[in-house]
Amino acid sequence: MKTAQTIYQEGSHRWVVIARDPSKPDCVIDTNEYLVSREGDNLLTDPGGSEIFPAVFAALSTIVDPMSIRYLFASHQDPDIISSLGLWLECNPDIRCYVSRLWSSFIPHFGGDENSLTAIPDEGMSMPLGSGQIEYVPAHFLHSSGNFHLYDPDARILFSGDVGAALLPPEEDELFVRDFDKHIRHAEGFHRRWMGSTEAKLDWCERASRMKIDMLCPQHGSIYQGDDVMRFINWFAELPVGLSTFRHRR
Amino acid sequence: MSNKPTHNTSSGELAGFVRLNEGIKGVVLIAFQINIMALNAILLAHRAGEVALGFGVISKELRSLSVELTGLMQELSNDAYLAVNLISDLLRQERRYRLLKKATDLVVNPSPALRDVMLRREEEFSLITHRVRDVRLRLLDRLEDARKLCQFGTAISRSAKIEAAYGREYGRALAEVSQEFDQKIQNILPSIEALCTGMQRR
Repeated sequence: MKTAQTIYQEGSHRWVVIARDPSKPDCVIDTNEYLVSREGDNLLTDPGGSEIFPAVFAALSTIVDPMSIRYLFASHQDPDIISSLGLWLECNPDIRCYVSRLWSSFIPHFGGDENSLTAIPDEGMSMPLGSGQIEYVPAHFLHSSGNFHLYDPDARILFSGDVGAALLPPEEDELFVRDFDKHIRHAEGFHRRWMGSTEAKLDWCERASRMKIDMLCPQHGSIYQGDDVMRFINWFAELPVGLSTFRHRR
Repeated sequence: MSNKPTHNTSSGELAGFVRLNEGIKGVVLIAFQINIMALNAILLAHRAGEVALGFGVISKELRSLSVELTGLMQELSNDAYLAVNLISDLLRQERRYRLLKKATDLVVNPSPALRDVMLRREEEFSLITHRVRDVRLRLLDRLEDARKLCQFGTAISRSAKIEAAYGREYGRALAEVSQEFDQKIQNILPSIEALCTGMQRR
């Protein structure tokens, strides 16, 4: 079963990561879900695919009542991100899911409708969470054409979806990056293939480098913190991506 | 059937209805061939005149039968489509139920609200299961109607053979047509029987 671990807490404001499911089927990629909670307002980022819903639900129940989740955020439209939407709506029909406007008529194939989905405009938006605000930051074409990250300026945490993701071997699946150089080898292939646009990548790196980020939290792999955040942004900026690199590798 | 979703039963049902729809297509094709054949037989009887008056009447009956059979098959096809939709929904419900049940089992103290969700799922599942059962019963009724229609067709195709014997110089042509009628009707009956058996087995 997945486990829930608090990675940030300031009063009632906290971030909890739900990660590492040793009992998940091998054919399903492991994912990190993040609970952002503030004064009883609960938001879950990239809640995951249907098959891992029981594990996420159970791990979440050790921290909060899963039925109290009020918001979901889907960084993009992939099944490992949001195909559990129908199940979350079974538990709480009033739940609202925030997703790029591009996917608001695609996601209902997983569940929900116009009443349960809020379309995020291309330029992003802010929304209140408890007494604070969170920001939906554009990350289009990284990798999806309608893609957002979630930034919490008070916690200084950026949930970065697939950016920063790494496909870790079981013996190296630490929750936090400990050895950047060792870790980044498991991220390289993923970023080369998934992140198709150099222009989009450099634009994101430029914006991310100006943000105050203590933790960069991807949907797969380990969390970057402290100096590793900037190290990752610089590494990503330098990494050749896109079709030309793909051709070389064929 | 229990109102608790049981894995794999719905996927078996789905395959059954898909097979039914394929079988219906085969019957519709034969009914179309009978229709064309009967039209030609009516024209032949008209040319033969008085000696083929009875044959003409029987050909018209066979033509009506083929139209009625086609209509019946259309209704069956609509029901099969409805059943496929319902069972697809049932499969979705089954999967959701399975995952929600797993989640409930993993939670140490499931809240009453979560138990309510499970109850609602079971009620919804039961409702759709009953609708599938109703559609299947309706399909069986229609298949029974089709079987009776074919039995009637068998009887009149035999009468056509007898009438052909009075056809004098047209006798051979009329006999050939009546033989073909009989063969076509004989081809439909096993298909209808197979569809009935397929539906009853579920």
